[in-house]
Amino acid sequence: MDKQEWRKRMASLSFSQKIRILEKLRERSLAITASGLRKNRPKGR
Amino acid sequence: MKVTLELINQMQSQGVIGRYAIGGAVGATFYLEPAATFDVDIFVILPTTQSGPLLSLSPIYEFLTARGGRVEGEHITIGSWPVQFLPASDDLEKEALEQAVPTEVDGVRTWVMTAEHLVAIALRTGRPKDHARVLQFLETAAVDRKQLESILIRHGLLPQWERFQEKYLEK
Repeated sequence: MDKQEWRKRMASLSFSQKIRILEKLRERSLAITASGLRKNRPKGR
Repeated sequence: MKVTLELINQMQSQGVIGRYAIGGAVGATFYLEPAATFDVDIFVILPTTQSGPLLSLSPIYEFLTARGGRVEGEHITIGSWPVQFLPASDDLEKEALEQAVPTEVDGVRTWVMTAEHLVAIALRTGRPKDHARVLQFLETAAVDRKQLESILIRHGLLPQWERFQEKYLEK
């Protein structure tokens, strides 16, 4: 699957499914920050 | 997010806030592929019963902290999500709330701004990440261009739109 197709597929997920992905991305990002690999907490908006 | 939205809805049904809608990166995710974000932006109409010319977020903070919300800087964390409450401060934001799209997250009713209003607000905010998001909306044809242009005209954002087009869309 190419990148465009993948993006389309991700965009077509339900809002609930997308929110679950956002939560996982956020957890991963916070874990990276907590490990010291990144200095600052990611910013919102 | 379910817990977060349930509490916000509870706050709405008890009259602490009026109409609300999800904006920012989480709102954009309704239309686009998910992109990492730290917080959720909730645009709200505050009840007009508050006295004085300045609208205060205190009733929101009081309601939420009494139910386990934790204030951290400009956010209040509800469940696992830091939330930033942004009172609708002008006609564009008020219109975005009036025309917000009803949806559900895990069975909890909520509202998301239209794609066109998200783009208009991002254009106005104008940071690089806002412009990146506008480009994403345009590239994936997630906005109705006529509808967008009518919003931009109505709210005096054509100069920002022209600058954006010059910078990113014209070769």
